[in-house]
Amino acid sequence: MASSVSSQQDHQVLVEANSSARILSLNRPKQLNALSFQMISRLLELFLAYEEDPNVKLVILKGKGRAFCAGGDVAAVVRDIRGDDWRAGAKFFLKEFTLNYLMATYSKPQVSILNGIVMGGGAGASVHGRFRVATENSVFAMPETALGLFPDVGASYFLSRLPGFFGEYVGLTGSRLDGAEMLACGLATHFVPSAKLAMLEAALCIVDSSDPVIISSIVDQYCEQPSLKEQSVYKRLDVIDRCFSQKTVEEIISALERELVHKMDVWISTTIQTLKKASPTSLKISLRSIREGRLQGVGQSLVREYRMVCHVMRGEVSKDFFEGCRAILLDKDKNPKWEPSKLELVTDSRVDRYFSKMNTEEWEDLKLPTRSKHKLPLYAIAKL
Amino acid sequence: MKEKKNEEEHPSFSMDRAFQRTKILTNHLLQSSPSSPAQIPSLSSNACLDYSPPELSEGYAFDIKEMRQLLDGHHVADRDWLFGMMMQSKLFNPRVRGGKVFVSPDYNQSMEQQREMTWKRIVYLLERGVFKGWLTEKGEEAEMRKFAYFEAVGLFDHSIAIKLGVHFFLWGGAIQFFGTKHHHDKWLRDTENYLIKGCFAMTELGHGSNVRGIETVTTYDSNTGEFVINTPCESAQKYWIGGAANHATHTIVFSQLNINGTNQGVHAFIAQIRDAVGNVCPNIRIADCGHKIGLNGVDNGRIWFDNVRVPRENLLNSVADVSADGKYLSSIKDPDQRFAAFLAPLTAGRVNIAVSAVYQSKVGLAIAIRYALTRRAFSVKPNEPEVLLLDYPSHQRRLVPLLAKTYAMSFAANYLKMLYVKRTPQSNKTIHVVSSSFKAVFTWNNMQILQECREACGGQGLKTENRVGHLKGEHDVQSTFEGDNNILMQQVSKALFAEYVAAQKKNKAFKGLGLEHMNKPCPVIPSQLTSATLRCSQFQMDALCLRERDLLKCFVLDVSQHQAKGESKEHAFIMSYQLAEDLSRAFSDRAIFQKFVEAEATLAAGSLKDVLGMLRSLYALICIEDVAFLRYGYLSVDNAAAVRREITKVCSELRPHALALVSSFGIPDAFLSPVAFNWIDANSWSSVQH
Repeated sequence: MASSVSSQQDHQVLVEANSSARILSLNRPKQLNALSFQMISRLLELFLAYEEDPNVKLVILKGKGRAFCAGGDVAAVVRDIRGDDWRAGAKFFLKEFTLNYLMATYSKPQVSILNGIVMGGGAGASVHGRFRVATENSVFAMPETALGLFPDVGASYFLSRLPGFFGEYVGLTGSRLDGAEMLACGLATHFVPSAKLAMLEAALCIVDSSDPVIISSIVDQYCEQPSLKEQSVYKRLDVIDRCFSQKTVEEIISALERELVHKMDVWISTTIQTLKKASPTSLKISLRSIREGRLQGVGQSLVREYRMVCHVMRGEVSKDFFEGCRAILLDKDKNPKWEPSKLELVTDSRVDRYFSKMNTEEWEDLKLPTRSKHKLPLYAIAKL
Repeated sequence: MKEKKNEEEHPSFSMDRAFQRTKILTNHLLQSSPSSPAQIPSLSSNACLDYSPPELSEGYAFDIKEMRQLLDGHHVADRDWLFGMMMQSKLFNPRVRGGKVFVSPDYNQSMEQQREMTWKRIVYLLERGVFKGWLTEKGEEAEMRKFAYFEAVGLFDHSIAIKLGVHFFLWGGAIQFFGTKHHHDKWLRDTENYLIKGCFAMTELGHGSNVRGIETVTTYDSNTGEFVINTPCESAQKYWIGGAANHATHTIVFSQLNINGTNQGVHAFIAQIRDAVGNVCPNIRIADCGHKIGLNGVDNGRIWFDNVRVPRENLLNSVADVSADGKYLSSIKDPDQRFAAFLAPLTAGRVNIAVSAVYQSKVGLAIAIRYALTRRAFSVKPNEPEVLLLDYPSHQRRLVPLLAKTYAMSFAANYLKMLYVKRTPQSNKTIHVVSSSFKAVFTWNNMQILQECREACGGQGLKTENRVGHLKGEHDVQSTFEGDNNILMQQVSKALFAEYVAAQKKNKAFKGLGLEHMNKPCPVIPSQLTSATLRCSQFQMDALCLRERDLLKCFVLDVSQHQAKGESKEHAFIMSYQLAEDLSRAFSDRAIFQKFVEAEATLAAGSLKDVLGMLRSLYALICIEDVAFLRYGYLSVDNAAAVRREITKVCSELRPHALALVSSFGIPDAFLSPVAFNWIDANSWSSVQH
């Protein structure tokens, strides 16, 4: 019985090890490959082992079915917290963020094939790696503010480093990006049509090198330059910069509203609507998080996000996360009742609390794994 | 040399070189293939230096966020917002070096281009609402926020800070403080929105610190109700006027006011110098001050006024006015007092300069210490790895005391800002003395710190892109503008002299300026100083008070001896300059130390307080190491040696905290420089290709 459970769990991540590349496939297609605790543990285990193994040169991560990965298995986390206490949730994020840090500072190149949905935890399991290959099927989003959470998994580090204030826009609105947009803003490093993925994989399996320059040149051979669609948000960077650079969420919304004074614009009014539907607490802590992440290394960002996520799980300041999960994932009435219900009720001191240490016994800050043992590549050093 | 020449002349040599490069590359490729790992020893890791990021080897023994909050003191999130605003814009010249983005002006641009860029950056920040409320909002919160933004902008570039400082604090401040309601209504909002661009014409070619000696003359024409401003001679030309050369449309003019043949002293007027499209107004002549050793993004100019007529209401009349029919009216009869009341509000500039100097020191130290944590030089034994710079006690002795000094200045700067923001008519004297002292000492310290940091970075310190060397040129001006440091320090001594004389005359206790210790019995320094005593804050305070108290008495005595010989008090001050210098230094060190002790006292026991305690001791000890303690015999030769020994000990105890202490400065990586991070990658051949 025990062995069948474990083998079933092992099947959640498939491993192909026929070459110097390791191909890991997230394998919960029905759940859009949402990351379970077991999957995260398994990935962590595999990544750590591959780093030690001189026969492994690169790691390819992809998803079975129409998703790369739709995020962390939040519904399971919420069930855990409801049944037990917030510490079970914290444990999930502790593992996940450790994996994110390992990927961000990994000594060997990770190539993620993003042929489908990439959301939340899925972004965390790919964007930190060296190569991210988008396709015409890619759909990227950080939808956390609609769930009462905030863009975690190190998103405050990578979103804040997108051009201008695009990261604030993507992080606060949960706006969906396609493959062309991902490439344009830098979330993806390459765009390869899905028809060529099999050939790309085969080529990567014989490259037998960890040199990012060589790997990049291989991917380049299958690469195409997609054009942005006519209505692409990436063509609205000037408006995004003007509005999403504002200091507070309230000011962002009024800046957007000011834009509408001059002329009606569907995209702007949809953006305002989206922001007004999201959890006010989530919006405020997300904005603060992205702003802090912009000035921090990836490790510091994850440590801070771990503090934040523990506060969210504990639910002392706000229970929006549980309400969001109820409304969107469990009851699916899509009508969350946020508390506090308005932005102006979310005071600075409320926001501050998410960034403070938990004043609970037995709670500890996220301890990042030591990374001085392996020679880190230049791009990883620059993230510290 | 010879070989190199050969290589250039003979193609065969460069062919050899190309061949060799190919061979090296092939080796690299082979080495990373699994089939032959055993054949080739791992050349790259042994033969080449690796950059090892200090983050991976150095721990943080305290919460650096908490420490930063203590240092910055206020509006930390607002500062970060502004940092982000600058980093995310192409206008701030972001460049990738060693895989990281750095923002800094392109100082290789011509003076005119730098001025243009500075102005564009101001417009960008203006459009993003950074200056909202800078002149139209009142109250502590608004003033402190303004300070925070100003400090953050100043970390990018001195020119942009000075351009803003002239427009908002000098021009805007003059309107606020010297003007009355109709001036406020007419000018403040337009200034805040940059509908007009202000400058501030006080200094002349012939008169700088001695403002009362300026030669520009203004008369009143009661027929037209206008003032007539004139530059009577070349030495009266306005000089160094920031903003005047290119951009400013209006200026405050400082001038003697001559009413019916009577000189009423220096007054301030508003004059337009350019029209809305930038043409210089009639009867105004403007010339450029030219290229400078720093601050080339600021368009300093010279102005001549050829009987320029301005309406009567352009006199800033908070202290004195002229009626329509030409009568001089002032509530303050004594011209000395009138002048003092007039200039008192200008301390904002000195507060800004003092604080800005501290932040520049932070940049310098963060860069030099991070470099010292990654750069190695010389092995102690053959075949051993070379030693990290900061592991040399001598290198610690160079940098760690400067870290302590910078912490001390931070706490003192926070006090100075609060003093200014909470100002009352009663606190004017204290603000004047403390801001003079701190402005002088901080800016001098900053130059010393930057020089040491630049040397500690070796040749890398010379590169403009590494900032630390360039900052010296940019901030050198701080020691003479808004009050020459030496003059300011003389004013401190004179103020202390006045306090002493007043206390004696009225037989009253000392009160204010931190001189209360003078009322207590004179502290005694133990004949044998132990380590424990040297680390005790009471002893440290006693030693600093003892020096101040004794020097004040000596100074008063010296001045009175000169006076006893029939010399004037002014002449006596001039002759006693050595004691005056030592006294003002003693006052400053003690005042700064006091603020350090107070900041430390606000903390609960813990790692943060422990580290601050060490820094406080180190700051005190380097003050006590000052030659004055031996010169005047406050320390025996043995005790002076004990102080020096203790300094090296504290330095080595602080060594493990060095990274945490500079990280606590809260300066984003992008505002430091390539040499502070992966300087090997930043200088790699592939980085040249890009």
